[in-house]
Amino acid sequence: MIEYKGLDGITDKDFDPYFGIAKLDEQLKGIPSKKVVLISASPSVGNEVFGYQIIHKNITSGVKVLVFLNRTSPQSYLTEMKEYDFPANENLFIIDAYSGITGIKSDETDHIRVIGNPYDKEEVRTKVLKELGNGYGLLVIDSFSLLADFFDFSFATSFMNDIKKEVVSKDSAAVLLFTDWGYEKQNVDKLLSNVNSTIEVKGIEKRVIFGQYFAVLKCDWIEENPAFSSVLFKAMKPGGIKVYFPKILVTGPTDAGKSSFIHSASKNAVSVDKLGGTIALDHGTVDFQGYRADLFGTPGQERFDPLLKMLGGEAIGVFLVVDSTKPEQFPRAVEMLRKTETYGLPVVVIANKSDLDGALKKEEIREKLHLDSAIILIQTVAEDLSKVDPNEPTKLKEAGINEALSALFKQLT
Amino acid sequence: MEGIKTGFKNFDELTNGLDYRKVYALFGDKESGKEQFIYKLVQSALSAKNAIVYVLTSKSYSELITEFNSRGININPYLGADFRILDDFSRTNSPSATDNSYAKILNGPLDLTGLSVSLSSANSDFVKDAKPVINIFDNLSNLLIYNNPVTVYRFLQFVVGKAKLAGITTIFSIDVAMHPPEVIETIKNISDAVIDLKLQEGKRYFKLSGTSKEVLQFKEIE
Ligand SMILES: Nc1nc2c(ncn2[C@@H]2O[C@H](COP(=O)(O)OP(=O)(O)OP(=O)(O)O)[C@@H](O)[C@H]2O)c(=O)[nH]1
Ligand SMILES: [Mg+2]
Repeated sequence: MIEYKGLDGITDKDFDPYFGIAKLDEQLKGIPSKKVVLISASPSVGNEVFGYQIIHKNITSGVKVLVFLNRTSPQSYLTEMKEYDFPANENLFIIDAYSGITGIKSDETDHIRVIGNPYDKEEVRTKVLKELGNGYGLLVIDSFSLLADFFDFSFATSFMNDIKKEVVSKDSAAVLLFTDWGYEKQNVDKLLSNVNSTIEVKGIEKRVIFGQYFAVLKCDWIEENPAFSSVLFKAMKPGGIKVYFPKILVTGPTDAGKSSFIHSASKNAVSVDKLGGTIALDHGTVDFQGYRADLFGTPGQERFDPLLKMLGGEAIGVFLVVDSTKPEQFPRAVEMLRKTETYGLPVVVIANKSDLDGALKKEEIREKLHLDSAIILIQTVAEDLSKVDPNEPTKLKEAGINEALSALFKQLT
Repeated sequence: MEGIKTGFKNFDELTNGLDYRKVYALFGDKESGKEQFIYKLVQSALSAKNAIVYVLTSKSYSELITEFNSRGININPYLGADFRILDDFSRTNSPSATDNSYAKILNGPLDLTGLSVSLSSANSDFVKDAKPVINIFDNLSNLLIYNNPVTVYRFLQFVVGKAKLAGITTIFSIDVAMHPPEVIETIKNISDAVIDLKLQEGKRYFKLSGTSKEVLQFKEIE
């Protein structure tokens, strides 16, 4: 098995099934063969996008995937996948247990097998198990809770056992999508006792939904069994599931390149500024390796210090940007961490303008900033020196930006 | 707070309109005038600055809009802004139908998860805009035909629970003749109030129970 490198880049040769979802792959190292994963969602959040994304990740890395559909028609499912920017390809095969219910005729094709009478549990069982004999790397069932609704939990539980046996003997793996409508606990527990990993998808909600998160409740192939924390996510259409950091602060002395950093890292950044200097804040949204983050930049000029505390509130991580040619500003940089009340949060130091004459070396900067050896420092440079405009944020080279994002995101998950 | 006016003069006078935050079951047979009742209610509620999420299970969103227009109800200014359609029908005929700014195309009657996710998110959007919200299910019969009734009850219980928490008014329209009595009984139990409609000798009548101002004998509706 080739190791999944997550934020350090995705190897283009993944042979085993993966989630294709940031954080899940980093923590669980994909879905090993012979394993059954159940993704259990609250009805107000849903898990269908997890299904689309897992399928897409695998069919595009050469894994043959079988998806069992009883929630909607193959055509409708493929339309929906496409809207998330997850188009199907020749590695995707479908068992259609839906069309027979609506009475709309569905023709078998190379890639679509039809269950003639989806009300017949034995036909459902035998067709699925038989098809698994045709060499699939992954089976996805959308939806498993609907099977329990349609028939009953005793069928669902015994079908789960059959699937597990088949998956083990054929070196395949399975992902079952499940909506928890508030079934009897003992039924659900019995079902769950048979799966190798359970992932829970939920909303943070009172009157309205504030956010969505997923959490690994159980996983029997990770030995050290780390405490899996829950992570916020957004389901983007198109784009799919992104692990989401609602607030990351970008601070540092005046003119260091905070606005430049935010504009270079995000597509849609806006700044409230005057003659290039930030006078209120910058904001930009970053999309990077399956992660999404909202960056908030502070002004650097001291006359705006009263804003700093407010800007730092609720941040969960910090980019501290310094000008590599101005060590005299370094004490101010550390002071800004205090004033934004973010001292002690995960931080990555950005040593910017390392293209300029007189830029200090990494080690000199670390020393002058009194950086703890655990703190990561990344050098960034203008992409094109000839285009640096004193009244505009400048575009920074992508390599440094990516290194910085990756270093901080790793600390946040 | 004043109730939600239905736009039917004597209904509104006799009942004070519909109470906010309550769950109504709207019962009637095919010709009883359920759709007419709902369409007029939609018009009246929108003009009184309510927001509506319309769950459509037996026709497409474009057919719905045509029906509004053919009855002289100008729905267009409200589309997207205060009136959103969750279309659980179109994909059955045209699997590649996609969303637009006011209609979300759902996967079909078996995908109750998809419906509940879309409903939660449409409701959240309206509630965040501080608008009073009404969820209208036109109609439950189609969901009940395709799904195991117990599955639909569980779904309704969930939807009603969320609606109560968020202060949302809910209306379920059901074609009574299509379902066995125990199904109708269960829907009644999930609801706070029941509106019965009937057609007799060319005239339409209503009854209302379960609210502060009940009308327990059939009264003409015009
Ligand atoms: N040579 C060089 N110039 C840079 C680099 N990064 C930014 N600049 C320039 O430095 C100036 C300040 O950049 P900004 O990004 O506006 O700095 P800031 O930290 O947001 O400044 P304030 O908001 O005023 O605190 C601009 O003129 C940029 O074009 C770099 O890597 N190299
Ligand atoms: Mg700035």
